[in-house]
Amino acid sequence: MGTLDPILEVRDVSKTFDRVVRALDNVSIMVRRNEIVSVVGENGAGKSTLMKILVGVYQPDSGEMYQMGRKVPFPRDPLDALSRGISIVYQERGVIPHLKVYQFLFLGLEEKFTRLGRLQLGKIIGLAKSVFEELGLKCDLASSMYELPPSTQKMVEIARAILSVRLMVGMDGEAEIIPVIILDEPTAPLSIEERDELFNYLLNLKKSNSFIFVSHIIPEVMKFSDRIYVLRDGRVVAHHDLSSEKVTEDQIFREIVGRESYYDLWARYVYSAGAVEGRRVVLSVRNLTKKGYFENISFDLHEGECIGLFGPAGCGKSEIAKALYGEIAADAGEILVDSRKVKLKSEPYARVKLGIGYFSGETGKELFLFWPIRKNVSIVNFDKVTKRPLKIISVISFNAERSLAEKIMKKLRIRAPNVETECYSLSGGNKQKVSVGKWLEKSPKILVLEDPTIGIDVGAREEIYEVLLEMKKNGIAMILVSDDPKEYAILCDKIISIRGGVIQATYTNEEFRRLMGL
Amino acid sequence: MKSEVERLKIGSVIAASIWRLVKVNPAVWAIVALVVIFSALVPDKFLSTSNLVAILKNFAVTSMLAVGPTFVILLGSMDVSYMGIWMFGGALVWLLYPYLGLASIAIYPIFGLLVGLFNGVVHVKAKVPSFILTIAVTAVLAFLTTYVRNISGVLTLIVPAYNFLRESPIPYIPSPFLLALPVIVLALFIMFFTKLGTYFCAIGSNEEGAKLAGINVEKYKILAFTLSGLLTGLGSIAIFVHLGCQTRVDFDPSELVRGLAAIVLGGTPLAGGMGGPHRTLLGALVYVLIFNGLFLLPGVDPNHLKLYVGTLLLGAVIAASRALKGALIA
Amino acid sequence: MAQAWLSREWLQRNINTIIPIMGFIALVIALRMANPYFLTSWDSVITLVYGMSWFLIAACGLTLVILMGSFDFSVPSVLKLSAMIFAVLYPSMGFSSIIVAIVVGLIFGFINGILLARFNIPSFMATLATSMVAEGLAQVISGGYTRMITDPAFRAVSTTMILGLPSIFYWAIVVWVICIFMTFMTPFGRMIYAVGSNIVGARLAGVNVKMVRTLVFMICSLLASIAGILYASQIQGAHMQVGVLDMIPLFASVVVGGTALTGGVGGVHRTLLGVLIIRWLDSGLSMLAIDLNVRMIIFGAIAITMAILTIDRRRIRIMK
Repeated sequence: MGTLDPILEVRDVSKTFDRVVRALDNVSIMVRRNEIVSVVGENGAGKSTLMKILVGVYQPDSGEMYQMGRKVPFPRDPLDALSRGISIVYQERGVIPHLKVYQFLFLGLEEKFTRLGRLQLGKIIGLAKSVFEELGLKCDLASSMYELPPSTQKMVEIARAILSVRLMVGMDGEAEIIPVIILDEPTAPLSIEERDELFNYLLNLKKSNSFIFVSHIIPEVMKFSDRIYVLRDGRVVAHHDLSSEKVTEDQIFREIVGRESYYDLWARYVYSAGAVEGRRVVLSVRNLTKKGYFENISFDLHEGECIGLFGPAGCGKSEIAKALYGEIAADAGEILVDSRKVKLKSEPYARVKLGIGYFSGETGKELFLFWPIRKNVSIVNFDKVTKRPLKIISVISFNAERSLAEKIMKKLRIRAPNVETECYSLSGGNKQKVSVGKWLEKSPKILVLEDPTIGIDVGAREEIYEVLLEMKKNGIAMILVSDDPKEYAILCDKIISIRGGVIQATYTNEEFRRLMGL
Repeated sequence: MKSEVERLKIGSVIAASIWRLVKVNPAVWAIVALVVIFSALVPDKFLSTSNLVAILKNFAVTSMLAVGPTFVILLGSMDVSYMGIWMFGGALVWLLYPYLGLASIAIYPIFGLLVGLFNGVVHVKAKVPSFILTIAVTAVLAFLTTYVRNISGVLTLIVPAYNFLRESPIPYIPSPFLLALPVIVLALFIMFFTKLGTYFCAIGSNEEGAKLAGINVEKYKILAFTLSGLLTGLGSIAIFVHLGCQTRVDFDPSELVRGLAAIVLGGTPLAGGMGGPHRTLLGALVYVLIFNGLFLLPGVDPNHLKLYVGTLLLGAVIAASRALKGALIA
Repeated sequence: MAQAWLSREWLQRNINTIIPIMGFIALVIALRMANPYFLTSWDSVITLVYGMSWFLIAACGLTLVILMGSFDFSVPSVLKLSAMIFAVLYPSMGFSSIIVAIVVGLIFGFINGILLARFNIPSFMATLATSMVAEGLAQVISGGYTRMITDPAFRAVSTTMILGLPSIFYWAIVVWVICIFMTFMTPFGRMIYAVGSNIVGARLAGVNVKMVRTLVFMICSLLASIAGILYASQIQGAHMQVGVLDMIPLFASVVVGGTALTGGVGGVHRTLLGVLIIRWLDSGLSMLAIDLNVRMIIFGAIAITMAILTIDRRRIRIMK
């Protein structure tokens, strides 16, 4: 076999969920010997579905799979995939914090080192040592996983993936197989320096393994991959061989975003440059710091202004948003709402009292899924739906609750039979609307938005944007954190770029659009 | 033959591991402190041979209640069925003795295993919170024991035929301690020399991650409960002998707390993921030393045992609560 | 959403209503068959009322805690301690001893709440420890002896007859109604359900989770105290056996009513039915001269079965 022949290939893979949602549509990708192949795309483009098919978590509806040129069935389950040389390192939750490094390295593989029920610790530690030496990893085998820095944790996870392939394949006696390791957004929790460290490690490992690298961070993809597949809406829209073509970051970015298809949507929301000067400052943040996440963050937010915190995943932007809302506590610095100081350690309820609201697209976390819409709306609006027959007793008026919920349902065009519909039966977009709707009538001074439109379709997105823009027009200030540059372009007046937890630059909306090629 | 260098190396490894043990186990300091304090306050009583033998006996009993459940607590779940296994297992031995003779003592581990298996299956498959489930099981078994005593019209469920077990072949080493030793060794072996210890920690530390690593989480959870029941069943033999070859017939919550307190004092966090039977043994020693020494002091009323036990448990859980920060729990 | 009557989905959704009602009907029929005099004389009604009233008050408190997704083992111990304080201090302090008993109850509730909300200790563990302390204190203040109070005024608190029923009945109904009102009609009640349904979401929606948890534990212990005081008045004193056998029936009556252990499902209104079932079953079984221990075993089995049936599996990811 030549070095250019694919060692792993899938052709025309399609996968549909619930008979409606087409997650993958005739996708074909291949991996060669000793290379790093990147699969890039937005959230929901189908990247993780494809990877889950490769490791046997999902079965495709149609398609073919080839390994070393031979046609093979798709893996039945992760163990089957492993024995064929395919292993995956998950984005998060893969690390088991309290295990020792060597325990974690061999977790699930102990069968091979057990004699008469007794674990051969000496053999395990010996092998671990030699593997670490071979892969160039330096850390104490007896320390616990949580004691290691995040980048080393990731490296140990990768070493574990390689090791498990070796051990599992060795069992079948097919030594020819070259491990294909899938890395699902491995850099998400890492700082810039740690990312470089990880990539140098990968380049070193490339000599004996192949990697599929799933990411949406374009610069690092460009820097380290041999080839790039761009996925959009379940299709491969582009394929670049970086050794033979010249591609720019801009080009890939446009391919990911799919300028044409979305153009109409955000062209309607061209930001009208309303001057914020002279408006009241509702929130000022001074030197806000949380060790290990962000440092010296300062900015002023005016009435009716929206500031976007922009940066790669893991840059600290979502932690800043959480610290503003009190979900996590910052260590140092000042948060002033209407020039009143906010206690850094105070809980979300105290922030709500001061006029800060919070809305994220994670409806599973935020909504009471088994409650009717009515109750989900009134949980932040008790002042609007209660009466006080006596001074110390406040009583919920169900009629007031119902009419409030009806008002919001009408305004946001929430598609549900009535206000008593339980939220779990709503579609994703409608759930999100309920979630944002509860703040609509509350009218907080500041609304913190975290990935407000994650995982919903274009139509629902448009409606959410309209609601948010109207709230903005009514003077509600906003902080936006998202992965989608278009969202910043649509909603934000000012964009603060953050990297490694530090403010890099501040752009106006026009500058940002130009920079992003939008 | 080992070279001098290797021997030095082994020595330093042992020294390092002892240092590590002391460093990560505050219970060791507590043991030292308790011994020093009580030796200073009541030297003649505390350091007397009979008292030291009593400490050893009580240590055996306490650790036998706590070692099994430790494996379940590693998962972050809870198992307090040990009281029920110990009490009703004894009733079963008494009931079956006329038919099985001396072999009826074997019903203890079998019964423990079955109860543990039941707990594990119901907890995992029917998703009942483990604490509530196992405490209900304990209560049911305890009432059953009392019921057996009531209908059989005797005062105690004593089986004198086992009296020979009370004689220790080694002077000063009480026989309950000797009976407990194999259980302790078994627990430590499972923890450190089989994959089970690692798996239980992994599940307690990050259940989803363990699933992603290909571990059959449900199976190993059931296994942990079963193991806990089995070890408790084996350990109950030591308690049975300690009580004079009989079992308790009325439920006493302070006995229930004894096991939990030993686990918590040993430093196995209730959230799971770390610790293990070795820590529980230290915790059991702390517990035994505290109460042994306390009742030697003048002015301490043994009738107020519950108050002291409750306060101790309260203090222990508060002290251990540092490990529980972060997640919002029920 | 409307589902066809008696369809599978309908049954699944309403199982925690159907079972208690069916169980109650079956129980009444069985009791009638076993004892033709059951509920035929007014005296037997009053006996049942005495058995249920104080119990209902304590069960309401426990229901609130379980609705929040937590558990409180200290209910019977606090009940005993309050009864004991009332009985021990009554000769010297008169009715102001009630205040002492209630304050002590509130302190225990506060400690339980703080241990959970502030120190993040699982509630079953924290309340197990405090229940031991309460037991110990009851032992200390009583010296382990039974305290009898013969003063008719002491007795009158629970046993004054109003419209043919003892006053303790009205106390219990008032407490029950207030609890229902609080859980359904006030923001605070809504917050209890919010914490039980989705604690992270509740926190993000601006619910003061720590305060709600602490207050609910305080209310639970307050109700346990009130139950203890009324019970002491009913039995003219207090002894160390008060409450000892109450944890399992209390727990059983809450889950039999249809309140799920996972929190957020059920309510105080259901607990009345649970209490009726458990207490009537208890009296029925004792009428049949069934051993107390066997009764407890039956209640334990009922409690676990109902807990399994009512747990809402849709919302569980990881069960510890």
